[in-house]
Amino acid sequence: MEYFDFIQLMAKILLVVGVSLGVVPVMVWFERRGAAWMQGRVGPNRVGPFGLLQPLADVVKFIMKEDFVPKNANKFYYYLAPLIALIAPLCALSVIPFGSKAIVNGQEVVLQIAQMDSGVIFILAFAGLEVYPIILAGWASNNKYSVLGALRGSSQIVSYEISMGLALLSMLIVYGTFNPHEMVAWQSENYWGALINPFGALVFLISIFAETNRLPFDLPEGESEIVAGYHLEYGAMKFALFFMAEYVAMIMASALISTLFFGGYSLLPGMGTLVSMISSQFGFGEVGVTNVTAVFQFISLCSKVGFFMFLFVWIRWTLPRFRFDQLMDLGWKILFPLSLINLVVVTVMVYFLNQ
Amino acid sequence: MSPVILILAVISVILAITMLFAKNPITSALCLLGVLLMTAGIYGLIGEHLIATIQLVVYAGAIMVLFIFSIMLLNLTTESEDHKKEPLLYVSAIALGGGVLTFIILALNEHFLKHPMDYSFGKFSPEVIAQLGGNSKVLSHALFSQFYVSFEVISLALLIAIVGAVVLAKRKFD
Repeated sequence: MEYFDFIQLMAKILLVVGVSLGVVPVMVWFERRGAAWMQGRVGPNRVGPFGLLQPLADVVKFIMKEDFVPKNANKFYYYLAPLIALIAPLCALSVIPFGSKAIVNGQEVVLQIAQMDSGVIFILAFAGLEVYPIILAGWASNNKYSVLGALRGSSQIVSYEISMGLALLSMLIVYGTFNPHEMVAWQSENYWGALINPFGALVFLISIFAETNRLPFDLPEGESEIVAGYHLEYGAMKFALFFMAEYVAMIMASALISTLFFGGYSLLPGMGTLVSMISSQFGFGEVGVTNVTAVFQFISLCSKVGFFMFLFVWIRWTLPRFRFDQLMDLGWKILFPLSLINLVVVTVMVYFLNQ
Repeated sequence: MSPVILILAVISVILAITMLFAKNPITSALCLLGVLLMTAGIYGLIGEHLIATIQLVVYAGAIMVLFIFSIMLLNLTTESEDHKKEPLLYVSAIALGGGVLTFIILALNEHFLKHPMDYSFGKFSPEVIAQLGGNSKVLSHALFSQFYVSFEVISLALLIAIVGAVVLAKRKFD
């Protein structure tokens, strides 16, 4: 029994970490091809078909490059920062459910790594820890531009965490639970969270763009004024770690917004008939139906995450960068009061609906 | 007790000692962060996920960020060693601290000799909590029904503190 528990836990961890890290090279390729497509260019098309092997070439380049450490950098923190940057979003992914349950060897497997009753708040905790790599990297590399980037990044993340938390809170009031499984169940029974609380979904979407430092909020990196911000002094694989961390954070944020507002792993319309068709075709019993459903639930979540990843790329190459005071005004003077009002409205709505 | 808890406890003690004796303020702050993370890990391992999460959100995610942010902004370098210039003050400070520590240890010792700790569960045993729908549900229910007056008073006190801080800071800048 314990042996089985250990194996299933390891399998789930391998699946989540493997998928989220394995998507990174594809996303890097897509980011470059997508940028080229949106700007009417060609993009990388020499290495492999459609330039698909370009990320591989990039990895080889990153590994072969000189592992340079600035002379006055604080070595320990300099090396620690990219590690935290990658670990924090990976930890947060452990609470996101990627399916209801599967039945393996006669035993039920809940498709979520960590089942804890604080659920969604745990994700918020690790989203909060994403400030540290930025502060540490900027401070430890002992460079003026890096410190500026770090200050920008940390104040931006801290500011937008508030409106993100308030948007999350309004959804918690609707669902009445912290447990992501129950949230998904509620949404598949009723409506998607985004239909009930569209303003909350919008605020949450804007906040995750700021939290993941993506354009139009990539001021911590701001190439035109502070070169590359907090990871200016990082090269070779250490830079690649920051790069991967950005994409893993994007995956985490996409999975979070899909779970909270867009039905999570609940089946997309049409998938239910597909499941019953496949099951009747192969004559599956109850176990088989559960497992096929789990596969389709995983596909459903992946397609939603994929859509949001596309949205990240789309917006990056569509909108120009904000100025820093505009960013702070948007966070504190617009999103914060509006999400507070939204919270009140949702609370009143839920009160009258539950009467 | 799982051996992992022991490992986390040892690491947190080492980090706490490093925090006390580190010269670099950033090292101290990060060691404190490490202690908080280890404590959160211990809470999680004994099954108190909500406390662990709140520890992460409040202490690691908010308060320590503020600490490190202000240390970076003030650009504190290494700790000045002014206290070594006045040996009398230094020695008396250590003696006073040691005296207070001994007193606290003695008082605690006497208290626990007289009143041994009761390790049995009260009304809310783990089974009852699981039946009621988990820790977070029970805690929220208690906070917003039985203790809602104290809860609201505390949040008002925090609001007053925030307003006071803004007023004080604004006077300084104007």
